[in-house]
Amino acid sequence: MDGQVETVEQGVLGHLMALERRGMGQQDQHESQRLEMLKVRAVALRAQRDQLKHQADAVKILKDKISKDLPLDDADAAGGFIELQKSLLTAWRMQLKDLQRAHHLIGGYDLVECKEGKSVCVSFHTAFEGVYLETYNMELDLTRTVQISRHNIPPSFPLESIAKQILQKDLKGFLQTLSQKLNALAGRRQQVYLLKELVGSVEVMESNQLCNILVLMCTAQGETPKAVLCTLEYGDLTQCLPTRVSIECEDKTLSESPQWKKHQSLLLESPAHTALLTMRRMGSIA
Amino acid sequence: MDAQATSVLNRIIRRIPNKNIENLLKKWNSLSADQLRALDYTRPKWMIVEHVLSFCEENRLNLKHITNLEMIYHIENPDQGTWHACQFAEAQDDAVCVELTQFKEQFKAHLHGVIRHISIKMKKHEDEAIWIRIAWGDNFSKPNHLKPTYVVHHLHTSYVFISNLMAKHKIFLCQALVIATKHGSIKDGHLSTRSLTAMRDLLLRRYQQAFPNAHSRIPQERNTLSSHPCIGKEHSDHEEMRHQMSCEAFGHSPSPKLETAVYRLETRYRGNGNHTLSDREEFFRGVVRFSSSSLLDSLRHCVASGMAEGPVTPLLSAITQRGRNYFVITDKGPGVSSQASAQRA
Repeated sequence: MDGQVETVEQGVLGHLMALERRGMGQQDQHESQRLEMLKVRAVALRAQRDQLKHQADAVKILKDKISKDLPLDDADAAGGFIELQKSLLTAWRMQLKDLQRAHHLIGGYDLVECKEGKSVCVSFHTAFEGVYLETYNMELDLTRTVQISRHNIPPSFPLESIAKQILQKDLKGFLQTLSQKLNALAGRRQQVYLLKELVGSVEVMESNQLCNILVLMCTAQGETPKAVLCTLEYGDLTQCLPTRVSIECEDKTLSESPQWKKHQSLLLESPAHTALLTMRRMGSIA
Repeated sequence: MDAQATSVLNRIIRRIPNKNIENLLKKWNSLSADQLRALDYTRPKWMIVEHVLSFCEENRLNLKHITNLEMIYHIENPDQGTWHACQFAEAQDDAVCVELTQFKEQFKAHLHGVIRHISIKMKKHEDEAIWIRIAWGDNFSKPNHLKPTYVVHHLHTSYVFISNLMAKHKIFLCQALVIATKHGSIKDGHLSTRSLTAMRDLLLRRYQQAFPNAHSRIPQERNTLSSHPCIGKEHSDHEEMRHQMSCEAFGHSPSPKLETAVYRLETRYRGNGNHTLSDREEFFRGVVRFSSSSLLDSLRHCVASGMAEGPVTPLLSAITQRGRNYFVITDKGPGVSSQASAQRA
């Protein structure tokens, strides 16, 4: 009030400034009220968070105890039998989900339930030298016996014979074998691709969809460049490396020379593109 | 050049539109550059045929060259005539190791052994397909080059695609194929189309299939017009579910361009209305035929838009799952024919 009496004497601008000051003061009040409310809410939320953390920790402890096969004690059964059951189920579920996630991370196959448990869909991820390649899927029908209902695995892959041998007896073994062989196929195919990309001077004379045979023609350096034919046979379909390598050349002395014997073992021991790059670096081939 | 060679050449050139003849002759590589330049493709067909014939006489080409031309033509234009699929069964242990040269030798050896006069030509295409052209004769007459059978096979797969095979030659061809690929038997695939490309895409899985996945959802093909921020879709999750269901059953677009699906019914009438029909002991025989310029796309759209109710009936999803388009439905219960247990490899 005093301020008002004063300001009337000081003029309109003064009056306006006094009003402004009063308004800001009121805002301050609102602000401090709001601040109080927020502080209270923060305290409540923190309490809730601590409670949930406590519950989660209890479940985690339970889960660890189960995974380490330790006996459960009375402290775990504190909340009553039903509570214990619920916590146990949650703990088991968490453990299984962790295992599933770990299996996915190491490049293993994933399983997804579909059609309410009547069938399951498997995704096989393939990788070679740290690079993810194709993913193959397969749907298994579980109603009476386990049967493959559909898949997108290439038709040249001997899926039917593998299924006939293992599927009915051992599902896990079947999936494991399939994962291994698909990874090997993707690896061999990737080697052919990298070969063509990185070592352009080598010509691929023959290969096939299953990549179990690879015939390459290289040009051996020397006084006169000579053509050398390398045949890589992949007898074991679970491997990315060949089981047999044969070197042929018109010049017998070349193919019998110790240098090419070393190259032969190099091709047996390392992936095709790496071996050929090494051979080129050593100056043996163009 | 003899009469047969002339008529084969005649037939090839008459079939192709003039603008494609040049490319084909270049690929054939049997006429010189001057001769190719001299040909005028704006003239009427009979004139072009005559010119090409005269060049062939000049270069002393014979039936072998002409059949080569015919084969190149068919490889470039595979979607003609009617193709049938057959499937091998009972692979032997070393079926996976069969090599191209081995296959060729064994196939030819067997057929030459059973039929005295036969002409076989084999070519391997870049996409790993082996094309075989067979002109059949018999013990007394020369091979008939006007009605050749074409066979396409991809090594190590269990499918064979056959066009223009007469019933009396079927057994010889099947025997030769089974021996050359080291399998135990071959059976009818119940899939016939006019387009070899569609048949190969379907059976060799060259189209994108959809599988339920924990991590990714299928991106929808939507019109950008309908995704205006002010428009909200009420049943978007139903729509997505239907889209997922339709893609799982029929694949993503573009799907293999199948044209027909035929269901032969040998069932009893089950309706409540017409008593005279349902009282009969004999089967209600009928044929249901679906036709479309692209059957799988149409069926997928039916399901995705809600016109057909989900889940997709196995009678329709069997087209892609089993890789066939001819079904016989008997009265043993819901489902496909008695060959329901035969899985597609």
